[in-house]
Amino acid sequence: MTALGIVIGVLSVTLMGTLISGLDRSFENSMSWLGKDILYISRYEWFSDMEWWEIKNRPRMRTEYVDKIKEKSKYALAVSPVMQRTASLSYKDKETRTEIFGTNEEYMETISTDIQQGRFFTESEDKSGARVTIIGHGIKEVFFGEKNPLGKYIKIDNLKFRVVGVLEKQGKFLGLFSVDKQAILPAGAYKRIFSKRGWMRLSVKVPEHRLSEGLDEISGVMRQIRGLRPSDKNNFAINQTKAFEAQYNTLKVAIGGTGLFITLLSLIVGGIGIMNIMFVSVKERTREIGVRKAIGATRGMILSQFLMEAVTICFIAGLIGLFLAYVSSTFINKIFPSTLPIGLSISAIVMSMVVGVLSGFIPAYQASKLDPIDSLRYE
Amino acid sequence: MILINLSNIYKIYNVGGEEVRALDGVDLIINDNEYLAIMGPSGSGKSTMMNMIGCLDTPTSGVYEFEGEKVHIMDDGQLASIRNRKIGFVFQTFNLLPKATALHNVEIPLVYANIRKEKRIKMASKSLKNVGLGDRMHHKPNELSGGQRQRVAIARALVNNPSIILADEPTGNLDSKSGQEILQIFDDLHAQGNTIILVTHEDDIAKHAKRTIRLFDGKITEDIKDK
Repeated sequence: MTALGIVIGVLSVTLMGTLISGLDRSFENSMSWLGKDILYISRYEWFSDMEWWEIKNRPRMRTEYVDKIKEKSKYALAVSPVMQRTASLSYKDKETRTEIFGTNEEYMETISTDIQQGRFFTESEDKSGARVTIIGHGIKEVFFGEKNPLGKYIKIDNLKFRVVGVLEKQGKFLGLFSVDKQAILPAGAYKRIFSKRGWMRLSVKVPEHRLSEGLDEISGVMRQIRGLRPSDKNNFAINQTKAFEAQYNTLKVAIGGTGLFITLLSLIVGGIGIMNIMFVSVKERTREIGVRKAIGATRGMILSQFLMEAVTICFIAGLIGLFLAYVSSTFINKIFPSTLPIGLSISAIVMSMVVGVLSGFIPAYQASKLDPIDSLRYE
Repeated sequence: MILINLSNIYKIYNVGGEEVRALDGVDLIINDNEYLAIMGPSGSGKSTMMNMIGCLDTPTSGVYEFEGEKVHIMDDGQLASIRNRKIGFVFQTFNLLPKATALHNVEIPLVYANIRKEKRIKMASKSLKNVGLGDRMHHKPNELSGGQRQRVAIARALVNNPSIILADEPTGNLDSKSGQEILQIFDDLHAQGNTIILVTHEDDIAKHAKRTIRLFDGKITEDIKDK
């Protein structure tokens, strides 16, 4: 029971490590999905504490900006508008609500996902307002199962769209929500059917090694488009995945800090517990210590015997903690991919043994100092 | 050959500001292959004498030589070493480790002497066979009778081939039959050439010894040889 502190200590430190390594990996995946070389232009800034009315007062993004940016920027490799809303999708008797996106033919260059089946829509389909759609892998599974969806008509808010492509499976973003349930429409058709005044952003792809130059240039182009004077503040925001990284690092520090705090606290409690049982053990075994000394044990031998006992208790407690951490990590693994880091497991065990040495030392020293005559007489 | 040479030994305690002379100028020479009984009433300095001879304690003043080694100037580590190499203890209450088997109990002095595992087991089982417990090696103390426990303790005392066997009331916790058996073992050991020191207050037991010294108030009052 007293070793519970050590168990919890090892458990929390390894779980924290698992969590962070899992987050790291899923973050990495999700970030590559967003793309490091993409600038996201919209009314609001990610993770900013701007007032809602301030954002509300900014002018909306417009699809017309796409051509203007292309015309004026030399860094922009691809520019696409992204309008988004939820809509009801149906095929025969199956129905689902999902996110739909209205964009242009360059959209595929601004995301890391590929087309698994079929094709993306063309510029002329976009301009002509053709009712075609590319569906996410999840939608395909729900509506068509293993059957070929290409050329079939699905209904989006009760209007027929022809399926021309299917996106490959992507999994969950940050392990939180699936991005496989979506449908992509050409901006032309989207604007005609749904409100033009919906939420919208622009994705601009710039060369990865020219990120900051691209950012400066696009910012200038946007100011020009908006007709801002040099003294005016930007009335738009250009976001990058860097903002996510900064936010993510804060989260990581928070998780790490909390985990470390719990670990330290439980190790201290555990250490005191171990020290206590060692004191009791030394007291109870005074006679044994006397006998051992009488038959030739030196102080050092007695000291190391009791130290070893404390370390062994802590080592076993550490193993139990590690085992529990391993069990829990398989549960975490179901939520998002993660593994128990081996290096951390080893250092957690070493750490628990260090606690054993520290908390066992004073009782062991006391045992080693016992006088053999007195302890032989001890009842 | 002189084994133990105590000369002018004093052991003085301070109890509540009062000086207690547990040993008050003791001179004693013990030769090889002696069979000695130390007697005396409680408070006579008998226990202090035993602790002194057993190198568990050092004198306040005086000279103690054990096979020429100067015990009176030794530190804790050296005392532990000489106890390990030269002295086999047998206690009234056996003092075996309750959770360890007979074999492991006998092995412990060899552990402290840094002897290899296989050799330890060989020596320990030989020692147990010598006291007639070859078939009880893997029993724990609570599975053995009092006489058997004391025999395990004797095997433990003998395992290092010590120069002396120091037994403190070895039959005190035994019935008379087991007591006789234990004393018989001591007699046999003496016949084989071992040096044995018995600490007792019973005349019947002291009779087995070839020499008896009596202590009173920290002084040797009687020393009878070759009964």
